[in-house]
Formats: sequence, C-alpha cells, structure tokens
Amino acid sequence: MGKLILAASLGLTCLLSTATVALAEAPGTEDPNNWPQYNRTSNAWRYSPLDQINKDNVSKLSVAWIAQGGDITMGIQETPLAIDGVIYSITSGNRVAALDAKTGQEVWNYQPKLDPLTKKVLFSPYSRGVAVGDGKVFIGTVDGRGIALDQKTGKEIWQVQLTDFANCHGCNFTSPPVVAGDMLTFGSTAGELATQGKIFGVEAKSGKKVWEFNTIKDDPKSWPGTSGKYGGGGAWMPGTYDAETNTVFYGTGNPGKDFINEDRQGDNLYTDSIVALDPKTGNLKWYRQEIKQDVWDYDSAYEVLLFKKDGKDLIVHMNKSGYVFVLDKNDGSIENIWPVSDLKNFVKDIDKRTGELIGRVELPMNQETLICPSTFGGRSWNAGAYNPNTGLWYNNVLDFCGYLKPVAQKDDPKDYGTGHIGASDFGRLVMAPDGRKPGRLDARDPFTGERKWTHEMDVPGFASVLTTGGGLVFNGDPTGILRAFDADTGKVLWSFNTGSGMRSGIISYAVAGEQYILVPSGWGSYAAILLPALFPQLEKMPAASTLIAFKLPK
Amino acid sequence: MMYKLVLMTIACIFVGDAAYPQEDVPNLKDPTMIAAGHDLFLQKQCSRCHGEGGKGGINLTRRALDPRSVFQAIADGRMGSGLRMPASRDVLTDEEIWKATAYVMSISQQPK
Repeated sequence: MGKLILAASLGLTCLLSTATVALAEAPGTEDPNNWPQYNRTSNAWRYSPLDQINKDNVSKLSVAWIAQGGDITMGIQETPLAIDGVIYSITSGNRVAALDAKTGQEVWNYQPKLDPLTKKVLFSPYSRGVAVGDGKVFIGTVDGRGIALDQKTGKEIWQVQLTDFANCHGCNFTSPPVVAGDMLTFGSTAGELATQGKIFGVEAKSGKKVWEFNTIKDDPKSWPGTSGKYGGGGAWMPGTYDAETNTVFYGTGNPGKDFINEDRQGDNLYTDSIVALDPKTGNLKWYRQEIKQDVWDYDSAYEVLLFKKDGKDLIVHMNKSGYVFVLDKNDGSIENIWPVSDLKNFVKDIDKRTGELIGRVELPMNQETLICPSTFGGRSWNAGAYNPNTGLWYNNVLDFCGYLKPVAQKDDPKDYGTGHIGASDFGRLVMAPDGRKPGRLDARDPFTGERKWTHEMDVPGFASVLTTGGGLVFNGDPTGILRAFDADTGKVLWSFNTGSGMRSGIISYAVAGEQYILVPSGWGSYAAILLPALFPQLEKMPAASTLIAFKLPK
Repeated sequence: MMYKLVLMTIACIFVGDAAYPQEDVPNLKDPTMIAAGHDLFLQKQCSRCHGEGGKGGINLTRRALDPRSVFQAIADGRMGSGLRMPASRDVLTDEEIWKATAYVMSISQQPK
C-alpha cells in the first residue's frame, strides 16, 4: 500500500512538474511561485498564474501574518517582491526589509541616512519598490541615490549619487530601478519640478554610472528659447525591460510649468512620451509622444505592457489622460488609441491613426477652466492587471474633474516645497457634471477597449490591481476595503477591511505549496491630502504601513 | 534645585512651540497683513493642500488654531497623521511667515 501511495505521489509530482513546464512557456506564467519584479513579469501584466486560491474557495481566505513597515509618513506605496520564500519590502523613507514569506518575520532591514532636504521637497519620502538581481537588492532613494544591498544580508554593497538633488528642485527617485541584463536604469522625478528629468544607466555590479538620457530634448523647435531649461519630464515609474530586443521602455512625465504653455510653443519632446532606450548605451531607439505640449498634467509615466498578437509585437500603454495607446513594439507606430472613459473634455478626441489631439482646450491665464479628467488622471499611477485566460485588462478608472487656473510663477529650483506648475494648486476637484459615480473597476479588451464588465465605486480605487490563474481580480480602495472579484463577471466574491486605505500593489506568491495574497495597506501620498475635498469620508482615514498576507486555512 | 529643574523642563515642553514671546507677535488682524498673507498663501501653493479659501483637502476653516503653532508649521514643516507639510523657512522671511499666519488665522476658527 505504501509503495502504491509513493508511486501515486511520484506520478502526481511528475504530472505537476509537466504542468509547470508547460505553463512556463506561456507569456506571463514564467516563475509562477514568485513575484520577482515590480510588475511580476517583463510584459508587466501583474498576472500571477497561481490558482490554489480560486473562485470556489476565495471566500475562505484568512490572515496568515501581518508585518509593520515602520514610518507611516505619506503611507505605504510599494509593490513588494516575493522571491523563493523571501519578501523584499520598502516603506516610507526608503526603509528596506527582507521578511520570511511564510511568517512575516523580519530577516534583515536597511535604512539609508537621508539628506535632511528630503523633508522639504515635494515628492518624499515616497518609496514604491525595490528591484532584485545579481544577488543584490537595488533601490533608488528619495535623495537621488542608487544603492545596492546584499540580497542575503542587507549589507550595503555600493551607492552612487545620480541626481543633483539640491540643485534640481529636489529631483529624486520614488520608484525602483529596472534590471536590464547587467545594467540598471533609474528614472528621476521631474514634471512638477524646475529641472530636466533624466533616466540613468548604471552598472549593476559596480554602481558605476554609464549614461544618462535627458527627457528634455535639446531642440529649439521643440523647446523655443530657454523654455526647456526647467522643462520637467522625467520618468517616475519603473520602465519595462524587454530582453528579446534588449530595450528598456519608459513612460515620461509632463512638461513644466504644468498649466502654462505660453513660452513652450513646440512639441516639448520627450515629455508625455514612451521612449525606447538601449540599456547599454542610453541611445534612443524610437519614441512616441502621446500628448504634445501638455497643459493638463497628463504624464505618460505609467506601466508599459508587452503583447504578442496576430504575429505582431505590441505595446499597450495608458496615458494619464485615460487614453490607451496600442503601439508596434519595434518602432512605436500607432495600431489603435482608445479612451477608458467618455468623461474627457481636454480634447474632443485623439485621432486613432495619427495620434493628433483634436479640438484641444487651452487654459486662459487667471481663469478657471473645467478639465476632465482631473490632474489625478483617468487612472492614477497604480497599475492595472491583464489576465491571459480572460483576455481582459483590469483598471481602476477615475471619473471626476478639476478646475485649472494658470497663474504667473517665477522659476526657482531652490524653492523645494513649491511645485513648478504655474498655478496655486493642482486644480479644484469636482464630481463629473453628469452626476456619475466618481470611480469604477473596468474589465476591457486591451487592444480595442471593449468593456466586458464594470464595478462602480463611491470612492475610486488608487491601488494596483492583481489578477490570478484562479480566475480572480483583487482590488483595494482608499477606505481600506480589499475585494476579490470573479475575473469573468466582476461579481464580488470576498471582501476584507484592512483598516487603512490602499495606495500600493497587491501581489501573489507561493511558498511550501501554499499560495498567498500579500496586501500593503496604509493610506498616503498627495491623494490622501487632496482627495478629502471631494471625498469627505477620507478625511479621517488613519494612516498606516502594514503588510497583510492572506492564505487558505489548512 | 532638582525639583525646580524638572518643573522648568516640563514648562518648556508645554510651551515648546512658543518660540516667540507674545509681544513679538504682530497684529494678525491687520487687513493689509491678511491680504498680503493671502497672496503668499497662493504663491507658495499652500492652497495646493488647503484650498484657495482654506477649504481644501486639509481644511483649515474648521480648525481652532494657535498663531505661534501656525507660524512654526509654516517655518519648519509639520508631520502628523501620516501626512507631511514641507518647511518654508528658507524661502520665506519671518515677516512673510507672519503674514501667511495672519491669513490662516483669518480663515480658521478663533480660539475660544
């Protein structure tokens, strides 16, 4: 009998191994037990193929462990990584920790001594993730450094100052670098800063800076006169590394001053663009600008998804305006453009073939103009998730507007706390004029925009979405409610109150044969400051910095 | 002696933000000062978080504020409830900070 059980077990093991190998060949399913990079796989789908937790049993999910991330200032904004039974986490002020993925027990931690100037600058102490490779954990710091730690011990291996932090209006890193072969690429904050945002190429082994790419093109036609000197741009979210073409794709930030285009009457390249760079040299392979001469703060900094479809290599990318650009991966030519919402008035439309803005609305100085979507965008920076089984891309949609009022402003890169935006604020937020709900979770075809289902929300979502092989979609909201949806229908199958709002990335991993859902909870960022004007229920939302791991009970 | 030292220490903690004696506080009800403070409030984008009239995400109009605490928050920044207000001491003079304080006091609830 014992031999029979052993034989059956071996057979099952072989079957499972075979299944794993077969799965590993499908895009988005490689390395199924881990979440080894910011968007899990190099196609940036945020899809975990794990299916132990599924539609039939998700209602039984229970808390496995809880860990505290430390400082709660501006909340927890990270997408943690999970590699071979270890969680790599970064929280406010660049505190990095390695945790046992089964228990949440801390293995090591590291916190850099930050420049005191970080207390004055606009985008700090945001920490959105780490990168892991070559036995090291890499971070970009909120004072403009790249740092490498030993993956096993957390001891510092090298560090390099990349931005001229004090002289560039506090430009820094709020997101992790991208591991691109033996190189790292770091994208700096800019946009609202009086600076020229850059992407840096650094040797992963030594920390030596090899190149920098200026997102402000040195071209008087694009930037007349001195308008490019503080043109902004930058690349403040992680790019996507495509090993097949040895290319790193980044989305860039908006031009400055955000709401005034009087002195920058050109295209303002390479702001609001996708740039395709050679990670060895920083050479530009191609670019596609999504918003020319932006005056509405519609960055292109969000995730770059890669697909193979009908023999074509495609990119799907959402601009902050809510328009989604479907591009040829090899040259950036346009395949399609579609909007996530019909609540848009900054243009009448964007030409689906040429990308031209049709009927753009300009902003007169010293007057309020109603612009939809607001400067939070048609979606915030928190990523969507694509499930290859349903063929659907799940995104939070923000359906509210803002009144923008440009006013004259002096350039001052030493005035760290004041945005280089040409206004007194980021816009007075208002609900949509037609009275619709202000947010929803949408499931759409990523190439056509056709909507399969939607889940309306009274307070829109500001966290990154997770979708899984168990046919589920997980989404968190600013009031702290985590929900699991049926990926096919949008039916809510389970919910849990995490105690604070979510502005972070939900992941899934497996260790010792058990699947976990890991949720960072802790409301923060400028969303926590600005949104209570429109959503009073968020005014008393407690801040936190908590990691909550869920699994099925044994 | 020790008792006096402890008493003084406790007193210092409780008036910790009273960096300016009462006589140094300018007339915060002066309309000219309030108007100048409003201009600074907009220029330095205090309105970004507090709204143009103080009714933004961090609403000032429903708060009872102390002028010295307001001065100190503008000068040195403030952390609370997980949120961070940047410091402005290097970009505003004391005189300007008092003007901004005057405007903030004019829109907040006055202490009873």
